[in-house]
Amino acid sequence: MKKVLFAALCLVYLELSMRVVSAPICSYGQAGCHVPSLADLFERVIQQSSRMHSVSSDLHSEFEQYFFPSKNIMGKRKCHTYDILTPQDKENAQRLGREQLTEVIVTLLRAWGEPLSELHQSMSQDQHQDFNIYSSNKALEISDIVHELKDGVKIITDKMRLMGVLSNTVGYNSPESLVPSSAFYTQGDLDSMDHHDLLYCFRRDSNKVKNYLRVLKCTTLPELGC
Amino acid sequence: MMKNVMEVLFLLMLLFTVHAKEKSYNPPEKPALTRCRSPEKETFTCWWEPGSDGGLPTTYALYYRKENSETVYECPDYHTAGENSCFFNKNDTSIWVNYNISVVAANALGRAFSDPVDIDVVYIVKPNPPEKLKVAVMEDKGWPFLRVSWEPPHKADTRSGWITLIYELRVRLEEEDDWEMHLAGQQKMFNIFSLRSGGKYLVEVRCKPDHGFWSEWSSTSYINVPDYFPREKSMWILVAAFSAFIFLILTWLLHMNTHRLKHCILPPVPGPKIKGFDKQLLKNGKSDEFFSALVVPNFPEASPSKYEDMLVVEFFEVKEQELMLEESNDLLDGGLKYESSRSDSDSGRGSCDSHTLLLDKCREAKEERQTNRDGSLIEKQIRQKDRKEEAISPDISSGRVKTWPSLYSPLPQYGSNPLDKQSSLEMAKQHSLSISSFLTQPGTKDALGLSYMDFCLSNKQNHVHPQTQVQTRSNVNISNIGHKHAPAGLHSPTTQYVEVQRVNKEDMVLLQPVLSRCGLIEDCPHLPKGEDYSKVKGVDYDNRLLLQREGTGEDMCSGMDQETNGERGNCYTTSTVSIMQKPTACIYTVMPIQEGMALTLNGYVDTANMGNLPSC
Repeated sequence: MKKVLFAALCLVYLELSMRVVSAPICSYGQAGCHVPSLADLFERVIQQSSRMHSVSSDLHSEFEQYFFPSKNIMGKRKCHTYDILTPQDKENAQRLGREQLTEVIVTLLRAWGEPLSELHQSMSQDQHQDFNIYSSNKALEISDIVHELKDGVKIITDKMRLMGVLSNTVGYNSPESLVPSSAFYTQGDLDSMDHHDLLYCFRRDSNKVKNYLRVLKCTTLPELGC
Repeated sequence: MMKNVMEVLFLLMLLFTVHAKEKSYNPPEKPALTRCRSPEKETFTCWWEPGSDGGLPTTYALYYRKENSETVYECPDYHTAGENSCFFNKNDTSIWVNYNISVVAANALGRAFSDPVDIDVVYIVKPNPPEKLKVAVMEDKGWPFLRVSWEPPHKADTRSGWITLIYELRVRLEEEDDWEMHLAGQQKMFNIFSLRSGGKYLVEVRCKPDHGFWSEWSSTSYINVPDYFPREKSMWILVAAFSAFIFLILTWLLHMNTHRLKHCILPPVPGPKIKGFDKQLLKNGKSDEFFSALVVPNFPEASPSKYEDMLVVEFFEVKEQELMLEESNDLLDGGLKYESSRSDSDSGRGSCDSHTLLLDKCREAKEERQTNRDGSLIEKQIRQKDRKEEAISPDISSGRVKTWPSLYSPLPQYGSNPLDKQSSLEMAKQHSLSISSFLTQPGTKDALGLSYMDFCLSNKQNHVHPQTQVQTRSNVNISNIGHKHAPAGLHSPTTQYVEVQRVNKEDMVLLQPVLSRCGLIEDCPHLPKGEDYSKVKGVDYDNRLLLQREGTGEDMCSGMDQETNGERGNCYTTSTVSIMQKPTACIYTVMPIQEGMALTLNGYVDTANMGNLPSC
């Protein structure tokens, strides 16, 4: 009996002493872990956005070659992100300030999450198998990148807020426009909007995101030598 | 009157119309928009190409519509960018907006609309070339390199991050035509290595936005690279010294191994490998010494046996060229060789052709050959013997005494032999016979009888081939005969009698010592031990070789030596003579031994003198 007790005590003691302590997430600079700097974060995010844009650009041009041998004129349809106000030139973009710019970026990214996944699904089911085998992979890639970018930009904004670089100001877009992406895009819209238009719209929006991110980086961290 | 005026007017109008038509004024042709470019993504310009103006002054107007708007605007600036262009300034330029642009040409006669063009400014960016290109020569541990630096075009705002440019530069020597391209990425500085000393270089750079067009090449920058030849020279000196060193080492190695190399490249010719063979003695010309040297003491090896059946072997060699029975230079070969022109002795021969081959092996081969030959009589006889002797041979071969390899020379076809086939056959038959020594078992009377050399060396032909020669040579001397003249240096302590055991297919006479037999049977008290040689007395009419003891010239045979047919009293004594008879001669025993006939100097049978023998 005594032995059993002793053994039990030993086990408890060992368990307590050897408990694995999980390391905290290093977003706030705890000791003992490498925190990526803002420059690194920006670098990463800009790379991602660049990749996103180039893939979407490829996809769009492939689409055009395959389905529309002649140069296609954009139809009368609007992109579903038409309502999102975005700066259309440099002055406007610079005048916007970091906070609003960040907000615009995030809004754009959020608006595209769902349509892209739908696009991917639609493409994999399409009867144009020759084209869609490779393009559905690209659509999937785009979808993933957009998702990652969303998280990345969020991390950056958090960090900037932490650094005091970012302040809470009035959003550029009216609060009404900051509704979830589903407002811009309802399920089933894909039928009305064909793949080509969607790709056209996304190509442009990804370019916007890329550009805004660069502007954000260069205004926030000018010493990096933009 | 009125009619006339009307007619005149009509005619005038007609004329005017005709006149007008001759000049062919037309409405303008459709113009075409060639391109639109933006240098910094803030403004852009469009150019068009006018068509034919139709002979009338034509005006061009550019109209555009923005995306999702029905308002048509006209180009704000036709002049800034030059002829047939439209410049959109910053206020009029919206990025990420689709412009629908078209040009209209109008003259007095009509208007023409160009095809509309859709553009998005962000995709038509072609920047200006980079500016302030600077090239300098710098040194890196004694080796020079070029440091190229530049600045982005001043209009492109890269500082705010609005536009991102990547750069590319190209370099070439003044005298060359091919450019060396280098992609520099987003950096504004680049190092070029691997320069030619003393060369003059040209450098240019250009840029491009992420998605857009390459700019034009910037203005060329020239740079002179100074000489750094001395450093190169020292390197060559080092290389030369090193290679000289290597060369010396190789030479030394080669010198050390010349001997081995010589063996590799020019392998030495193998010399004769005969025990006791001495070239020097040969050169000296003293054959006695030479031959005595060849004789190996204690050869053949004999196991101690109480029967003292040391083998004494004498055998004849047929030589084509001479008729002498003496040892000749043939023996220089030191071996059991033919003197046939074709035979080359041991080397290269097949097993059955070899001199030193055990008899039994070649039995089958000989059989084959026998079939081709004449002398079926002989064959029959021999075969008979063989059959009879088969009982004996196994016993004998198991004797204690070492058997000599039976020598025989089937004398392969003398291809070039002028003789006809039959004579060559005879020649073939005349071969050196080796004697296998073996211990004879006490045999039956039949065995004894069969041991006689029943041998007919004759063939159908009669003539004696003048060119054949029977040579004898003794390896071991069993008698004084051997001592005197055995070229091979016969010397044996004991002598023995040998009798023919059997004759094999190839007319090889197998002799066996008789003495042992005698001893066993105790039937021949007469035969002295190891003293007498048998000489060929002759060949009887039955083609049997009769041997007699030396010197006596008479029969001295004992009872046991009598031949089976018993028709004559000739003795077949043990003899160590193995005879190679020339093909044509038949030796008969009817003749008494005469000196001239039977004996040469050495006491050997001279078959050449037996020409008077009747043919078989």
